[in-house]
Amino acid sequence: MRRLFYIGAVACLAGSLALVLAWRYGETILPFAVTSAIPDPQDGKVAGGVYGNAYFDLSYPLPQGFGEGLAGPDPSDSGYYVLGNFIPQAAPTATILMAAQDMFFAGPHRDVAAVTKDFRESMSQVEAMSIDREPSEVRIGNRAAWRVDFSGVGLYRAMIVTEIRCHLVSVTLTTRSSDERDALVQSLDRLTAAKRATPVCIRDYAAGEQVVRKVQPAPEVSSSPTPIPVRIIIGTDGTVKHVHVIRATELQRRGIGDALRQWTFKPHVIAGRTVEAETGLAFGRGTSRVSGGL
Amino acid sequence: MAKRRFAYTCSLASTATILLASVAVSTFAPAQTRGPTDPGVRGGAAGAGGVYPGLTEAEGAFFEVAKDVFQEVDGVADGLGPRFNLDSCVGCHTQPAIGGTAPAVNPQVDVATLRGARNVVPSFITRNGAVREARFVRNRDGSPDGGVHALFVITGRDDAAGCNIRQPDFAGELSRNNVVFRIPTPTFGLGLVESTTDRALETSLAANGDQKRALGISGRFNRSGNDGTIQRFGWKAQNKSLLMFSGEAYNVEIGVTNDLFPNEREGDPSCATNTHPESPTPLESEGGPSPSAGFQADIALFAAFMRLLAPPTPAGATPAAAASATNSTASATTTDAAASSSVLPAAAGTTSTAATTSSTTSTTATVDRGRQVFTNIGCSACHTRQLTSGKATVAALSEKAFQPYSDFAVHDMGDRLADGVSQGGAGGREFRTAPLWGVGQRIFFLHDGRTTDLGEAIAQHASRGSEANQVVQNYNALSGTDRQAVLNFLRSL
Repeated sequence: MRRLFYIGAVACLAGSLALVLAWRYGETILPFAVTSAIPDPQDGKVAGGVYGNAYFDLSYPLPQGFGEGLAGPDPSDSGYYVLGNFIPQAAPTATILMAAQDMFFAGPHRDVAAVTKDFRESMSQVEAMSIDREPSEVRIGNRAAWRVDFSGVGLYRAMIVTEIRCHLVSVTLTTRSSDERDALVQSLDRLTAAKRATPVCIRDYAAGEQVVRKVQPAPEVSSSPTPIPVRIIIGTDGTVKHVHVIRATELQRRGIGDALRQWTFKPHVIAGRTVEAETGLAFGRGTSRVSGGL
Repeated sequence: MAKRRFAYTCSLASTATILLASVAVSTFAPAQTRGPTDPGVRGGAAGAGGVYPGLTEAEGAFFEVAKDVFQEVDGVADGLGPRFNLDSCVGCHTQPAIGGTAPAVNPQVDVATLRGARNVVPSFITRNGAVREARFVRNRDGSPDGGVHALFVITGRDDAAGCNIRQPDFAGELSRNNVVFRIPTPTFGLGLVESTTDRALETSLAANGDQKRALGISGRFNRSGNDGTIQRFGWKAQNKSLLMFSGEAYNVEIGVTNDLFPNEREGDPSCATNTHPESPTPLESEGGPSPSAGFQADIALFAAFMRLLAPPTPAGATPAAAASATNSTASATTTDAAASSSVLPAAAGTTSTAATTSSTTSTTATVDRGRQVFTNIGCSACHTRQLTSGKATVAALSEKAFQPYSDFAVHDMGDRLADGVSQGGAGGREFRTAPLWGVGQRIFFLHDGRTTDLGEAIAQHASRGSEANQVVQNYNALSGTDRQAVLNFLRSL
């Protein structure tokens, strides 16, 4: 009788844990991902006044008086994420927009400096916009980044970009004065990111001879008129350890997960050691159209 | 007694002081503290509804026939019903002129009981509200629906003997929070939109991609499941072409089956008594001013009407100037300058020449400023000002710059605007960037006509999940003067 009670209790606990994980991580990892606690870029959240993002290993204590604004849209089919939107809780005088662009789906490779310079050119074309500070390399929270300041119609803005895990992570600040802008830029000194080891990110790893076994997904995936971007993590044994379907319908997610779980790769080797690798690939008829800038 | 009188006097004086102070504050307070006000529907002549300039004589004649057919009122023998939302195209598309959008007085109220029909007007249809169609989000079993459920039936009409079907249970569906609405989209200038190449749209979307991404905006095109090309018509860009748009609306809104949609949506044989398609391609022509038009199906004529309809004319610009913008930037600037010499009726209201000149100058300045602010804060990242049409068979439409203020991409508009309806690649929260040309003369805004106030329409762009959140935050951070300038600019379009 007692044994039956223990078995029931254990089963109940296990079930609860599964439910919590399913609620927390959704279909991205259950049942596709082999490892249940692998985060994705959009999984960041604010707790105790600090924005944390496990995927980017990023932590940003929000400036005094700031809190979460309205959540942004779901990840786009060009691999663009709105990570967070932070605003003063008292009055709408400033905003901090944190975003990320997956570089695997951002067209031809551009480094952070090139992206910032292109952005500066783009903003200089905007009506009534002034460039207040030319693109320059800065250090934010001990990380190399690029910064450009611009203003117009009474709004003072700055964009700071850095690269983490083959994503361009950007912070766009909008304020009503240049002093406020500088203060918000300074708040980024408290940001920390990417201190722990992460998989090596490699563009087009799933397109070349590294693929040992490939299984085509179901027709509802390949016939999609819009591209479906996917990030995968390949384990040291060459199997797919994690699948992150960035944007798709539920049916397409299932089809892609079912197929990719059967793919195998040559393990990636660095200095004689096999390491985990992270790469991107796209499904659907519109895959050639996957592109995006910052 | 004296004490009471003193108290009474004091009380009166205090009340008067408070009232005077309130009036003074509301009158003299800076615009920043008063907040902006939508100037309202721009008065004066309708800046739309005419034929595209520069057509050949044959094209012009074709347009006139098509325009007449667009205005025809259908009875049951013509194909109306069995279920329908209105009995003509023009009934929905009439503000500020034929081809436009929902008018001030909703014709759906009267058509409900026309010719003996016994329809109950649903609660969401009012005489002074927008023309609306209704969609149910889910079926009873919880599966996605999303389809249009026509408001009315022909039951009881004197031209529908024997038909005895009922209207949907709108009250019940409303109580289940299962009904969403759409209002008619204006059709001005759509020939230019149709003839714009996919490459031009893709280039335009990518051109300000950096600005978009600094604002939290992405956007994508709703592509045809048939050939993968960009769809561009309808609130969710769900229709590929003007012909498709016409064919679908003819069957869904009016109930007339046609060559593209040849089957009745309501199959009750006592009501669906006509042969199908009810509006076929004629094999004989009755002649008329355009011999070729006589051989066209109604849907082809509707499409032609929209294709050859001139774009809206901004206030202060002449129709020719608005429609004949060329590829050069200088010319586009000229058109904008003309547009910005607008007069906003609510802002003017003076009579002397000097005062009028002053008012116009002031209005010009505020509209110019509004355009700058609109662009600067990021509205134009999606409401893209200018596109250029491709090579078109109608020479007048060929390779012309035009100002739709849309990228024709669909964007996530968040929970507040979400309707839960997926159409093609557009999900339940996604909508095509509504073209803003002609917005100065529209009455109802947003896909369901939920507001008549431009400021409220802007506010509705922000909610959880919306790509527009940062831009709306930028708008809210502006001075009151600049927010007013944005509204004035929009009412000049």
